[in-house]
Amino acid sequence: MRPLLLWRYEVRRAGWAAVLAPPLVAAIVVLLAVVDAADGADQRGTVIRNLFAALEMGLPLVAGIGAASLVGRDPAAELQLTVPTPYRATLLRRLAVVVGWTALVALLIAAVLLVIDGWADRPQAHGAVVGQLVWLAPTLWLAAVGFLAGAVFRGPAAAGGLVAVLWMIEQILTEAVQQHQWSRLLYLFATSQGTVPADWTGNRLTLVATAIVLGIAAWLLLGGTERLVRGEAG
Amino acid sequence: MIPTARYELRMMLRKRSMWISMAIIVGLLSLTAFRQISDAVRDNDARGVMTTVALLVNIFLPVGYGSLLADRLVRDQLLGVAPILDATGGSALARLFGKYLGVCAAAAVPLATVYFGFAVVYTVVSGRPAGLAWALAAFAVVLLPAVLFVGAFALAVPLIMPASLFRVLFVGYWFWGNAITPATMPTLANSLVSPIGGYPLSALLGYRDTVSAGPTPGASLNFLRPQPTPATAWLSIAVLFALAALALYAAHAIRARTTR
Repeated sequence: MRPLLLWRYEVRRAGWAAVLAPPLVAAIVVLLAVVDAADGADQRGTVIRNLFAALEMGLPLVAGIGAASLVGRDPAAELQLTVPTPYRATLLRRLAVVVGWTALVALLIAAVLLVIDGWADRPQAHGAVVGQLVWLAPTLWLAAVGFLAGAVFRGPAAAGGLVAVLWMIEQILTEAVQQHQWSRLLYLFATSQGTVPADWTGNRLTLVATAIVLGIAAWLLLGGTERLVRGEAG
Repeated sequence: MIPTARYELRMMLRKRSMWISMAIIVGLLSLTAFRQISDAVRDNDARGVMTTVALLVNIFLPVGYGSLLADRLVRDQLLGVAPILDATGGSALARLFGKYLGVCAAAAVPLATVYFGFAVVYTVVSGRPAGLAWALAAFAVVLLPAVLFVGAFALAVPLIMPASLFRVLFVGYWFWGNAITPATMPTLANSLVSPIGGYPLSALLGYRDTVSAGPTPGASLNFLRPQPTPATAWLSIAVLFALAALALYAAHAIRARTTR
């Protein structure tokens, strides 16, 4: 019962912004499609394109900045460090809430795409089953980067900024990223913006694998409790 | 006002996290676009290189410093020092403006370090000191107005929503409102209210690489995209300053209501 209670507390503690952000971002992207369609664009094609954009671009950004905002939010971290539950376990639970809620919204969008036959429309997304890696891989990767950056900087400001710029670099420098094998494997938007077709599965698995490594690094770093009570880096 | 600005600037410049994250970003950009950077520093067209780099810097870095500045005003309330500061002699508006100038100056310092650092490398490698002059001009009319625009909204908007939600929405807005081609979907890109600086780049600095300002055939919102001329370029800068002033005034009004 106690673990369940802790999870309930963490979900409530996440606040309205964390609950609102994933559906809000998805809604804005869909709204853009509606406005675009009203402007004369192909309605179905635009909606499918934007739903995939919400899956692969919008939701990972939400998860990344959400994960970057976890460390440094407790007004009395010293108190957290005195309780039997390790503070880093609490932070990991909060990370699971952020990523889990984002994943639920992503699954809902994926279901909508299934209903409107959107997966068949985008062969580069590899179908509705393997295609879940469209959102899962970049979401886990950006969340892991955000979590690690939060652990390194001990605060959300610089960590959120780093996630934001990384997201923007991958959006804009598409051609430069395609030039090297290593950057193709770490490219977040391989489905929406394109990549070497044979690289897609490798790219998704590399993102998941590196996300696990980054997550472990953050976990180890958060074990140093003395760092955390010193407050934000700087 | 001036002491608040100085204090805010010093606080921010001492944030190691700001400098470390900037170093990571510059390292990643250099690693990803090494060939393009190598080609650029050997290019003889000083104006073309420095305007292109100004545009790139203004695409990537505002989302970083916008996120970094998002907690600066709400931080006073979270730390419980806002009522103490309100009890001091200076007016709340002057203190807000001082904080605004301080955080904008703090955002401009690492930005200037990166941009002028590249300008110096370019000048040394290409032997064209004109690069430094173009860099100064681009910094003044492209990068600085963006800092002042972003700084105002980064201070004001987190008063009405959590900073993390502001960061997500701000990054989305920046991409949508600056980097999307207007023919693709309705966007504020290439318009007078686009803080990326397309109008000053085109009309004041002669940037010609790609269309960054002006009407796009078939695109919606073209009424916000007059032909780029020196007059519309200055108008674009003035519009950005006016919007920034509006955001700051809104921040002052919200703070006055919440601290009453």
